[in-house]
Amino acid sequence: MQGRVVVTIVTGQAEASRSPEPARSGMVRTVWEHRADYAYVLPAIVVMLVVIAYPIYYTADLSFFMTPPGLQLRDKTFVGFDNYSAILTSGVFWKVTWNTLIWTLASTIISFALGFATALALNREFIGRGVMRGILIIPWVISAVAASYIWKWIYHSDFGIIGAILVGLHLTDRPPNFIDSVGTVLPSLIVVNIWREFPFAMIMMMAGLQTVPEQLLRAAKVDGASAWQRFWHVTFPHLRNVSTVTVLLLAVANFNSFIIPWIMTGGGPSNASHIWITHIYELAFGRQRWGVASAYSVLLFFILMTLGYFYVRALSGDKKERGA
Amino acid sequence: MTRLTLGCGAILRGTVVIASIASLISAPALAEPPVDLSKWSPEYVRSIAGTEEFDTAEACGKVTPLDYKGRLTFWYQGVFEGDPDLLRQYYKDFFETFRKTYPNIQLEEQALTYNDLLDKFRTALLGNAAPMAVRLQILGGTEFASKGYLEPLKPEDVGWSSEDFWPGAMKAVTWEGVTYGIPTNNETMAFIWNADIFKRAGLDPDKAPATWDDVVKYSKQIHDKLGIAGYGLVARKNAGNTPYRFMPQLWGYGGGVLDEADSNPTYGEVRLNSEASKRALQASYDMYVRDKSVPVSALTNQQADNQPLFLGGQLGMMISHPSDYNVMLDLQKKATGSDKDKAQTVIDNMRYGLIPTGPDGKRAVVFGGSNIHILKPEYVDGGKVDVPAAKAIICFWTSPEWSLKMAYAGSNPGNLNGFKTKWMKERLDNIKFLDVTTSMLPYGIPFPALPQAPEIMNIIVPDMLQNALTGAMTVDEAAEDAAKKVEDLMGGGGL
Repeated sequence: MQGRVVVTIVTGQAEASRSPEPARSGMVRTVWEHRADYAYVLPAIVVMLVVIAYPIYYTADLSFFMTPPGLQLRDKTFVGFDNYSAILTSGVFWKVTWNTLIWTLASTIISFALGFATALALNREFIGRGVMRGILIIPWVISAVAASYIWKWIYHSDFGIIGAILVGLHLTDRPPNFIDSVGTVLPSLIVVNIWREFPFAMIMMMAGLQTVPEQLLRAAKVDGASAWQRFWHVTFPHLRNVSTVTVLLLAVANFNSFIIPWIMTGGGPSNASHIWITHIYELAFGRQRWGVASAYSVLLFFILMTLGYFYVRALSGDKKERGA
Repeated sequence: MTRLTLGCGAILRGTVVIASIASLISAPALAEPPVDLSKWSPEYVRSIAGTEEFDTAEACGKVTPLDYKGRLTFWYQGVFEGDPDLLRQYYKDFFETFRKTYPNIQLEEQALTYNDLLDKFRTALLGNAAPMAVRLQILGGTEFASKGYLEPLKPEDVGWSSEDFWPGAMKAVTWEGVTYGIPTNNETMAFIWNADIFKRAGLDPDKAPATWDDVVKYSKQIHDKLGIAGYGLVARKNAGNTPYRFMPQLWGYGGGVLDEADSNPTYGEVRLNSEASKRALQASYDMYVRDKSVPVSALTNQQADNQPLFLGGQLGMMISHPSDYNVMLDLQKKATGSDKDKAQTVIDNMRYGLIPTGPDGKRAVVFGGSNIHILKPEYVDGGKVDVPAAKAIICFWTSPEWSLKMAYAGSNPGNLNGFKTKWMKERLDNIKFLDVTTSMLPYGIPFPALPQAPEIMNIIVPDMLQNALTGAMTVDEAAEDAAKKVEDLMGGGGL
């Protein structure tokens, strides 16, 4: 194996000495030196260009056109940045953006906190830990569509289970209104989302906890560190990267959420549970405003790319820390 | 004063009925329809039922030979959770019979529910992956015809005559003078109530509320006396059930989205913010917000959710098809223990009547239904349309036999000859309350035949209701907001 590497290097040097290459910039030279590697990944790059880059380009292009519901897509008219200005000056945009922020932040933070706490609890030895772990993972493996329908019935304002129990216990005269009120619909949906997502955070953090060196914790204990001090000064620093990755993955997933709000409320009532993705879907497929929906998508793309950048950075930081 | 008012009301009612019938039967090509629409009444329908024999295979064999070899992709608005088992069986029978009649046509059919079909069909069209033929709700025909996706198609192309179909339904498949589809079924709903609940609430158990104002009063009385929901309001967005229930109320009060309730609509004036329209919206507000006499879940649910409430004796009144009687029987079969007896009591007390009128005596109902269309090849998966195969299934579905059978429990045949078949006679005996919806047909008002109609009916009107009922806007603001959205939409813009 080593021999083959040496041969390759020697051949490369020999070629370089035979025909001196024109001076290349650092990046080009690096690419040239790794041309075989690039050739291997070329098919994958081509596929990605077709299935990812082209749709992105097409969406960005479409965002500059008006597509009224009475026209076919090919009859679209160029309107420059009008779609963007229409979005930014629309009251619905700010309402939907506010909903999206609340949805994403609340879902991400609470799912992570709950998942982390559960992981810490399950990291201890106790009877039935395996069973508990299995039970807690159920919400994550259930189909989101099925879960949405089940929760819709649980929340049902007229004959939902929660309402029936509360009325049965004489805690309230009428079943509480969870999803038919503009004030309670979003928090109610966030609860469902957290219920579905926290097991993911739990699994990630449980995996992270396996990497915390036991001897360090024992040494800290011998040194008289309290449980909180051991957590804060030993455990948590080891989990910083996995925490960042988990939070970013949750944030991206929540920004992209569709199934729960769409199935349970369709964005209603009165747009109170519309988040970006459901609103984009309604604009495009319900109202055929392809241009406006594309402009929304472009804006969302930039937000997600920003999150993606931090995700990649977090991953690279993790690698560097591990000396990879 | 009272007598004069009543007299004027009666005259107005008569005028409205005549105008409605005239609007439904008035069509330039109305030469000699197979049934006399001017005599339309339950008695007349009974008198013509079973008077003619039709051989579907023979008729369609003249359009597409029965040994024709081909392939057809076909999407259709199929049965959904709120439909009775009886209808499911007829859908199965239809495709089995078609396959037996045309054994060499390779049929690839796909059923989609009412609320999903338009979105999925639009998406498929964008990717040039549409089916060769499609059966759409009445609301969709004009949208796709105006965009140039559909091939011209008239009843004569599949062996029938344009006069065989309701003229009002033919208008819904006509765009700029060209016919782009054929009606498969047409329907008008009726008012359903539980006589036992009425009695217990101190109301006359055998009388439906006469006006929409009465509905508001009855709903409150039922709720106040019995603690259950009075009227089955539905206000979910992007669900066909919402406009089918709110538009009769809107028109009854004298309002409208545009002038679609006029005898000769021009669609040139937005009327959602008229005083009459606001009164209609106020009635919904009064029931939902002021009296809290309707299901709280009205904003996220649809008629399929009202059905179990009604069967459980928790709902006094609702608007629906005659098929709801069969749905109740199906649901009752699934009940166990004492629930079964309770359900039976509700079924025994189920009453059907005409949809109430507005304060001026105007009675209205949505003239609904579905149409069947052929797509242009460039939008179809594979770029080819097997026209003879498409015509074969269209001829089959729009035949007197199958247009009747596929509408057996809840609707009416698109092909008027269906009323003359032996199956209609059998249906009159088997399906309870059919007379009421037959009587409602002359009051039917079609949705505006505009490409913007789906957005208006499925999104703007429900949004208006939700904005008012949630308190996000006042009734006035919600009506003005909706009117502005319709104006923007008609002007080609707006978010």
